Amino acid sequence: MDPLLGPLLSFVLVYKYVALFAIVYSGAIIVPWPANLMLLAVGAFASQGYFSFWFSLTVAVVANTLGDLTDYAITRRWGEFVIRKLHLDKEKFFLNLKEELRTDAAITVFVTRFAGSLSSITNFLAGLVEVPFWTFFWCDLAGNVIEPFVALSLGYLVGDYWSSFSTFFSLLAATAAVSILLFISARMYRRMVQKYEHPPVR
Amino acid sequence: MDAPGTEPNNNGHARRYVQYAIVAFAIILGVLFVFLVREYLILRRAQLITDRESSITAALQHKGPLTAADASVIRPWMTFDYVNRLFGLPPDYLKTQLMITNTRYPQLSIGGYANSQHVSQTIFVGQVVSAVQNYLTVQAQ
Repeated sequence: MDPLLGPLLSFVLVYKYVALFAIVYSGAIIVPWPANLMLLAVGAFASQGYFSFWFSLTVAVVANTLGDLTDYAITRRWGEFVIRKLHLDKEKFFLNLKEELRTDAAITVFVTRFAGSLSSITNFLAGLVEVPFWTFFWCDLAGNVIEPFVALSLGYLVGDYWSSFSTFFSLLAATAAVSILLFISARMYRRMVQKYEHPPVR
Repeated sequence: MDAPGTEPNNNGHARRYVQYAIVAFAIILGVLFVFLVREYLILRRAQLITDRESSITAALQHKGPLTAADASVIRPWMTFDYVNRLFGLPPDYLKTQLMITNTRYPQLSIGGYANSQHVSQTIFVGQVVSAVQNYLTVQAQ
């Protein structure tokens, strides 16, 4: 079991939904908690009647979305200043990356909700490249409803055995994260090839 | 303005980076997939998946407290309140049996309490398991 998970679970068992909110919120911002494993455990607690499944899901969705919006707001507000300070606005590679992300914003925001820590990085980048707020919000919310629902449901189904399944679920989450990176890179590559072979007419 | 040939060159560099990234991700994905299948087979061998498949329906229909045979699931991160709920114990049973004086009982983790009493977590968890088993065995008779 993840060494961080034990203390986190004690915290969740003592402070229940407040702890769940705090952990999911800070995890969504950037703190690398094993949040999905914790949700798996909370799903198991719900199956034992110690937590409410639907209330846990609501708390997780709200906390996750607020955490993501915090990341987005930080870079949306101060990102430009940092870019200018680091002279990134003169870097062609950075400008290309910015353009790529803005072009593919909706799908990138949505799919990275299932990619663990990659989600926080995407939030910061989305604010930095000024992805429109409502595009970010809806794609984020959609992903944030599905992801904790899946984790809580799996925990609910495996119940008392959840800790035996934790390594399997961690590997599953890592596989999903790398598949998403592969998917995004492939889309980026395809667009680059198209742009190279059919450059825009000026 | 870029010098002639610079833009395609930049594009070529960027494409190559993305190509490398794709190859790297594909290799990592392959390795992860191997580990995932290995972990799945371990779970299969331990019959956890088979057990779970057959008991999911029953578990969804009937959820009761765990029995004495399940007492080994108790871990240091669990709180006394959670253990009471899990095994259907009276709220003050463990407090009396283990002579717990901490005012935060039962909202207190077993491991945290063991640390505060300078007792080994493993030994204290063993005492909790014994207390739970005693209670459930007596109840069953």
